[in-house]
Amino acid sequence: MAVHIPNRDEKTLILGVGNPLCGDDGLGIAAVQILKERELPSDVFVEAAHTPGWELPNWLDGWSSVVIIDAVRMGKQPGEWHRFSPEEVRILYEDEILSLHQPGLAAGLELAEALNILPEKLTLYGVEPANTDMDEGLSPEVTQILPNLINHIMDDIGNRK
Amino acid sequence: MSKRIEVHHVTRVEGHGDIIVEIADGKVKECRFEVVETPRFFEAMLRGRPYLEASHITSRICGICATGHATASIRASEKALGVEVSEQTKLLRKLSFNGEILDSHILHVYMLVAPDFLGVGSVIPLAKSNPDVVLRALRMKKLAGDICAAVSGRHTHPIAMTVGGFTHFPTIGELKELRQRLVDSWADVNATVDLCATLPWPKFERDTEYVSLTKPDEYAFIDGEIKTSDGVRVPVESYKSVTNEYLVKHSSAKLTKNKRNSLMVGALARFNNNYDQLHPKAKEAAAKLGMKPKVTNPFLNSAAQVVEIAHCTEDAIQVIDQLLARGIKPEEPTSVKLKNCDGVGVAEVPRGMLIHHYEIGQDGMITGADCIIPTNQNIANIQADMEALVPQIIDKSADEIRLELEMLVRAYDPCISCSVHVLEVENR
Repeated sequence: MAVHIPNRDEKTLILGVGNPLCGDDGLGIAAVQILKERELPSDVFVEAAHTPGWELPNWLDGWSSVVIIDAVRMGKQPGEWHRFSPEEVRILYEDEILSLHQPGLAAGLELAEALNILPEKLTLYGVEPANTDMDEGLSPEVTQILPNLINHIMDDIGNRK
Repeated sequence: MSKRIEVHHVTRVEGHGDIIVEIADGKVKECRFEVVETPRFFEAMLRGRPYLEASHITSRICGICATGHATASIRASEKALGVEVSEQTKLLRKLSFNGEILDSHILHVYMLVAPDFLGVGSVIPLAKSNPDVVLRALRMKKLAGDICAAVSGRHTHPIAMTVGGFTHFPTIGELKELRQRLVDSWADVNATVDLCATLPWPKFERDTEYVSLTKPDEYAFIDGEIKTSDGVRVPVESYKSVTNEYLVKHSSAKLTKNKRNSLMVGALARFNNNYDQLHPKAKEAAAKLGMKPKVTNPFLNSAAQVVEIAHCTEDAIQVIDQLLARGIKPEEPTSVKLKNCDGVGVAEVPRGMLIHHYEIGQDGMITGADCIIPTNQNIANIQADMEALVPQIIDKSADEIRLELEMLVRAYDPCISCSVHVLEVENR
């Protein structure tokens, strides 16, 4: 169920996005599964939104900080990742680049912005997928980088406080 | 004067469909609705898999009516294996189903249809021009999704629904909270009805054969018999006598017809066939929208969805009341005795009558599967509507004709990805 956390402000949500039946598109969901087994600070929450489409604003609403993890085609080597700042995220959706699911992450973010419910801090960790065909499981390249990516995200969240 | 209208990949529908219309010297030379989606082979995927996996596999046919596919799938296995389920299971399935109908209809009416009427290209400019409308839609969708999640474990692709029952149960506290939110949502439901009553629905009438499930005691969503507005009534096991699937060259989806050249399934067909069983508040909504059966304007399928939003809100409240009165018991799913068998499971999913037919071997593996998707059943009817509509609007500009045809296709709320599931090679 979409989270019911009272007083979402002052709290951080890490949101995994993607379809685990489309190979590496499920990396955001895989990252969330790993995170759920870790000990997290009490003000950090983790959820898998799968393919939220137009409902992305409902996931973002009320949080002061949201970190999204998803597969993004950036023309990099499979497994390479990039931390998109809020401004870079905006450029991505204005150019309609970000999109493996329809309506994609970009459209969902644009809708949230139009409704004025984007979180104050919004970060996207995009990972270059090797394969997003209909298949279960992640590629070796993506599997290998996930622990490092998660460590980086946790450090990043820690540094922001 | 000649006009050619080509819409490659109609937007704001699920999947890929094209519209091709050619008008020369004031006459329609060509008029086609083409389904160009790639086949998806779900039926082949089911063969050789355990029946218990079928609902999880087939729920992936659709991210919108996942509960519908799971329900039809589970009912097919239960009918095949002779499994009876408890009253609590029936109530929980109904509740989850109401959640999904609400979710899907809200998505369709607000995000996919409303932009046409409000003169915007998509929901994003709508959010800027009418934020209250979009925030209302999101609020309603969240409630609908939370109903599904509380009952079946998550918003889409239910995990707690299984053959014989459930593996997870909502708490009394969750049910009470959902009930309160449903009661509070009447303001949003009424606002939805009021909004739809102001929309300038295109004027177009074409009678067809309306096909839906029907039950003696309630507005049918799960189980029932097949009823058509042309007087046919058959048990679901005889579904092939109504659907009569066939292939045409320009579509990668199978088409269906029964008494006429085409038939229609979906909210409007349910409304026309089962109007008397709608809850009073849904009938009030229909009256506000000026609808009484038989409604033959296909554009009003979206309005019939709004009527069903009122019906399912009321039904969900009543089902929760029954569950609260009974109390929730953590029951084990009914045990199953394997045998060679086959069964047909049916449900009225948001877009219409859905049929799953499975053959199961005595090792519990599926040996044959047939899934008949609502959008397939509607494709020939969309084509027939286009053929009747284009001559009536032939003097309009190409842009106006294009928009009206796109709106017609959208009115059916087609799920083209779901409908394309079998590839058969034609022998020449």
